[in-house]
Amino acid sequence: MRKLRLGIIGLGYIGNVHLRHSLKLNNASLVAVSDMSKRALKNARNAGVKKTFDNYEQLLKDPEIDAVIIALPTHLHLQCARLAAEERKHIFLEKPMARTVQESQEIISAAERNCVKLMIGYQFRFNPTFRNLKERINAGTLGDVEIAYATNISSGPFFHRMQDYAPTPVPEWWFNKELTGGGPLIDLGSHMINLLRWYFGEITDIKSHLSYRFNLDFEDSATCLAKFESGTLGIISVGWFSEVSNVQVELFGTNQQTRIQHRAPNSLLTAVQMLTMGRSKFYESHFNELQYFVKCLMKDRPPSPSGQDGLRDLEAITRAYKNEIRLG
Amino acid sequence: MSLVSFVKVAQQNHDEFKQSIIDSLNLIGYSFPKNVRSIVIKPNMCYYWDYSTGQTTDPKFVAALIDVIRGEVQSKPNIIIVEADASAMKCSHAFRLLGYEKMAKKYDVKLVNLTEDKSDLVKVTVGDQSFHLMVPRTIQNADLKINVAKIKYAMEKIKITCALKNIFGCNPYPKKSRCHSRLDEIIVALNKAMRFDLCLIDGNIVSGIQPRRLGLVMASTDPVAIDVAATKIAGVNPKKIKYIQLAAKEGLGNTFFIAKGMSLGYFKERYPKKDVRTKLMARAYGLVVRMKLGKRLGIE
Repeated sequence: MRKLRLGIIGLGYIGNVHLRHSLKLNNASLVAVSDMSKRALKNARNAGVKKTFDNYEQLLKDPEIDAVIIALPTHLHLQCARLAAEERKHIFLEKPMARTVQESQEIISAAERNCVKLMIGYQFRFNPTFRNLKERINAGTLGDVEIAYATNISSGPFFHRMQDYAPTPVPEWWFNKELTGGGPLIDLGSHMINLLRWYFGEITDIKSHLSYRFNLDFEDSATCLAKFESGTLGIISVGWFSEVSNVQVELFGTNQQTRIQHRAPNSLLTAVQMLTMGRSKFYESHFNELQYFVKCLMKDRPPSPSGQDGLRDLEAITRAYKNEIRLG
Repeated sequence: MSLVSFVKVAQQNHDEFKQSIIDSLNLIGYSFPKNVRSIVIKPNMCYYWDYSTGQTTDPKFVAALIDVIRGEVQSKPNIIIVEADASAMKCSHAFRLLGYEKMAKKYDVKLVNLTEDKSDLVKVTVGDQSFHLMVPRTIQNADLKINVAKIKYAMEKIKITCALKNIFGCNPYPKKSRCHSRLDEIIVALNKAMRFDLCLIDGNIVSGIQPRRLGLVMASTDPVAIDVAATKIAGVNPKKIKYIQLAAKEGLGNTFFIAKGMSLGYFKERYPKKDVRTKLMARAYGLVVRMKLGKRLGIE
């Protein structure tokens, strides 16, 4: 069976995670990468990638590539995804899908028009612990989940203090609301909203409280109150203010209560995992989602989370921004 | 011998900060010159870490200092807060994110990015080494220069940073990491090129092995003496800090000081010092990074 040939566009933080994983996928090979940074391209060549481009348009024109992973800044998603679709490349697009609902709709239309598959990178859906929770909810083990807390707090793009760890410059686009589409509500909130929608169905109403500790043009933390089709009340808290990174879901059902966390392991454990398995357990879900994407393409199945999923999430986020609650 | 004062701040509010600054200055017998026209304040900004991390000077502390100055200096001087771009930090963002932009507006003071300021090339010698350094005009033209530093452990081999190292941030050249091979000498050279009149330490929150509210304010007109005192509080032997010894040798100050106010031991006891485990972990991490294994092991 012919292997699927992948290209990666964008070698920032998440692009590099995908690069490491793409080299270890079954039934797929990483053929090319593109990035503006010469250093990033050199590192990719050293990792074994044969073709490197400093311009993604050249990569998209390469007939050897079947599908692309787009890991660019959010404001470039639409133009890159549209071009990828026109070049008949299947698309794995990092979250958030786009800056606006309209941009998301354009991406979906481009994919449909050109008959290419589109998947959005929500890796928590491929995390064994979060998947197990979905099974427990579906099986009714927890009963009716009345309240769900979903938290995703980290330093975001602003790297925080770590022992003997020098900070790196923050790319300029992160400071520009026009380019990001917003703060952690769109960046991290898209993850948590997508996860809770997967658990409890569509959002029927949503409100938000936004905070501005760092005086940016956009929020640096947000808490949303959301009502889901299932009747569950979701409290979604996201922020870019903490040195400690934590992703947590806590559910209160009529039968049981449960809490699951996804936290970075300590350095020693990570080093052991990297040496023994070639990848860290922390990033296992990123590997799983890529493996699933490849499987969908090989078997000609529509992947999920789909473009429609990404669109629903952005619709909810847009409503949350609009329905801001101001507290004194 | 120089005087160094130690004052305890009970609560972190404007009035407490103001009072502690007044007390710390009174203890060293310092009074502001009456006829200054421009005053430069150099806080410590480090990346986009706000005051709660103990890495950067609290804008509330600087605001209290501005109030103290305005209460004592009758000539209504221009007050300018300065910082320069660094390898991973842009002043325009740091001023905003760390709350300085808001504070400057409220207190009607100017913010100057020294990287964008006009500078003059100055030759400085440290021992038998010569340095050609850019000295920003804003600093050259100031009648009074105040260094408002933090006490913290450093990532580099210099181990600890306080008043002398804070002046490294006045270097307008943004790629500061390139200076790290001769950091000790460059710190001293910059302090020789830009002599500050007064040093204050915002030790309300300090950054040791972890951030901690220490509630300390220190003052001295001698950057070497205040650094020696800070080093002792952090549990580091000042004789092992090359740039401090070099600064004393170059005539920037005294390594001996007379302590005024509260005892140094009170703050030393409470400073979040490094333990053996942390030191070993830091060494192991440094080794992994030097061997370029960080990425491969997933810890960089």
